[in-house]
Amino acid sequence: MSRRSLIAAVLATAVVTAAVSVSVTRLTGQSARPTRTGDGKPNISGVWQVNNEANWDLQAHDARPGAVTQQGVYPYAYAQVPAAPVLALGAAAIVPGSIGVVQGDRQIPYTAAAAARKTENGAHWVDRDPELKCYLPGIPRATYMPYPFQIVQSSNKIQMIYTFSNAARTIHLDTVAGPPDDTWMGHSVGRWDGDTLVVDVTHFNDKTWFDRAGNFHSDALHVVERFTPISPDALRYEATIEDPKTFTRPWTIAMPIYRRLEPEVQLLDFPCIDFTEEFMYGHLRRQQLVKHWESDTMAVDIRRKVPPGEQLFDWYGK
Amino acid sequence: MRKRLLQVLGVVGVILAVIVLVKVAPAGSATPGPGTRTAWGDPDLQGIWTDEYQTPLQRPAKYATKEAFTDEERAELDRQRAAILRRDQRVEVGSERDVAGAYNAVFQSIKHTGKRTSLVVDPPDGRIPALTPEAKQRADTDRQFRLALLQATQTCKDGDAACAGGKYGPPSPRRAEVAPFYNTGRLNRSDGPEDRSMTERCMAAVLPDFGGYRRIVQAPGTVSIFYDVGQGQGWQRVITLDQKEHLPSTVHQRFGDSRGHWEGNTLVVDVTNFSPKSDFMGARENLHLVERWTRVDAKTLEYAVTIEDPTTWTKSWTVKQEMNRQDEQANRIYYEPRCHEGNYGLPALLSGTRAEEAAFAAGKGPDPATKDSATDFGTEGGVDALTGGG
Repeated sequence: MSRRSLIAAVLATAVVTAAVSVSVTRLTGQSARPTRTGDGKPNISGVWQVNNEANWDLQAHDARPGAVTQQGVYPYAYAQVPAAPVLALGAAAIVPGSIGVVQGDRQIPYTAAAAARKTENGAHWVDRDPELKCYLPGIPRATYMPYPFQIVQSSNKIQMIYTFSNAARTIHLDTVAGPPDDTWMGHSVGRWDGDTLVVDVTHFNDKTWFDRAGNFHSDALHVVERFTPISPDALRYEATIEDPKTFTRPWTIAMPIYRRLEPEVQLLDFPCIDFTEEFMYGHLRRQQLVKHWESDTMAVDIRRKVPPGEQLFDWYGK
Repeated sequence: MRKRLLQVLGVVGVILAVIVLVKVAPAGSATPGPGTRTAWGDPDLQGIWTDEYQTPLQRPAKYATKEAFTDEERAELDRQRAAILRRDQRVEVGSERDVAGAYNAVFQSIKHTGKRTSLVVDPPDGRIPALTPEAKQRADTDRQFRLALLQATQTCKDGDAACAGGKYGPPSPRRAEVAPFYNTGRLNRSDGPEDRSMTERCMAAVLPDFGGYRRIVQAPGTVSIFYDVGQGQGWQRVITLDQKEHLPSTVHQRFGDSRGHWEGNTLVVDVTNFSPKSDFMGARENLHLVERWTRVDAKTLEYAVTIEDPTTWTKSWTVKQEMNRQDEQANRIYYEPRCHEGNYGLPALLSGTRAEEAAFAAGKGPDPATKDSATDFGTEGGVDALTGGG
């Protein structure tokens, strides 16, 4: 390549880069996003969200007709029907299938006792999953809940703020000793390994879950997360999970995280403490509204009056 | 040719550097003090902050036009306030009054007396402006309902201050009514969670907030603030700096919608779009705040907020306070609000009341309407001149 053509190539590249920057700015309405911060680190500030089914189940799974199902005509798991808590929602309650996010052999290496516990958790999902009570989601689950989260990247702290439950964590890039107690969201200490943000998370309690399938851990949980930019608008997220009380070896999940490109994107209020009061305390009301106790059984009233003019019900005579 | 190319690139580099510098340096800003700028040139508000001193929100009437205390007056006030027994003094163990004082002095940490006689700096008399006629009406309607629910209690029988304006008598038929406004305080009733206070429901935080701790983390274009408001409660706020327009008026949020920009060294934040469920001293969805956050020096952050709601106050008012930088190690527990996760109190209040109702129906206990679970007693040891409580 001659010197002149080299110069032409450099200039052409510069023009194209400039044009691309301009078009991205126009498209998203956000101010131009440098791919690097002033101190040369990848710039990961912004609003992000995964686009997968990991919160339903980290492992590969079939679609199923409802978040809660019961036996149908056949005694097969694959032929279950939606159960009462979600029946009224029709197709809106369907759980999508997934190829899973567990790396390697796709297995979660539970000890025998923990495997039994996981199965039991899945069967009692409605009663046990801390998500349903709006409890703090923990790490790594907060990352792949199906809502946006925001990264505020400073020089020695990175704040991650999650829509769900208005949860948050501070990732300390400087030295801060852990809290004198265990926590829901863990104690996060980060460092840059080249272009990868590596976060070491400890000081967990045993109360959070990994997903709605009942995957769980003990207070010996130790998570190492890796956030690696694969483009200005996508990160590869990897979390290695270690917990000798629950698993026979460390295991890893991985998934992309995408930047929310809407020009006016921002985290909005998700007041689930308020919104879950009926779920949690409804049966303790003086006058029941939706749920109540019948002896040792909790009953949820899903009776619905079909409005006149609803064509399908009119057609088959209700 | 190569030399020329380098020269051209060099010139371009200088131009870019100039543009970047011009863009970053805020107009009219003073010379930045050491450690008060972020790496990218914005004023640096980061760290953990709290107001270390106790200052009454409104100026107590006895101080009239006095704006500041002398050092001697502060020392004397500290001496008097420290002598108050607070809730260590127990009365009739097991009584309602005793149970209401469950949080004893250990939980009632007191701060040293501040320099000023009020946090309110405008109006100049240090007092919150008068309520509008409609707000007075709302407050009265609310008060009458609360008094009706207290009517059959010992609190009213004793003529306690909590029953002022009410009377003692049989349980009021109003106990069956829906509260006149979405309730945020303690009602003397536990029909459901909505009868209990926002504190008991783990949703006590409001904006503006003048107590507690806050951790600020910034990035270019964003300022995030985590508020620890005590009682294991808190919330995470994100202030967007590069968007001027507020959310559509149909979108409401508990802590409103914050839009910020830099004016010199000051972060100015406009807050609207509050929810009707949020309640700051009676102001709800019409509340409008303009906050000003200024890093004064390495250890001091000044916070000023102008509070406006034409449906609540006859004019706007402004609060100003100085916050002090806090040690990270000493505060390393203060960033996980988990009140809700451990809230056994709320279901216990509800199920306890159901048990009392069952016992009363079976003729085995008093009418729950005669008991008081709303009044915050606890001034037995004396009244704190600055906080009003014991």
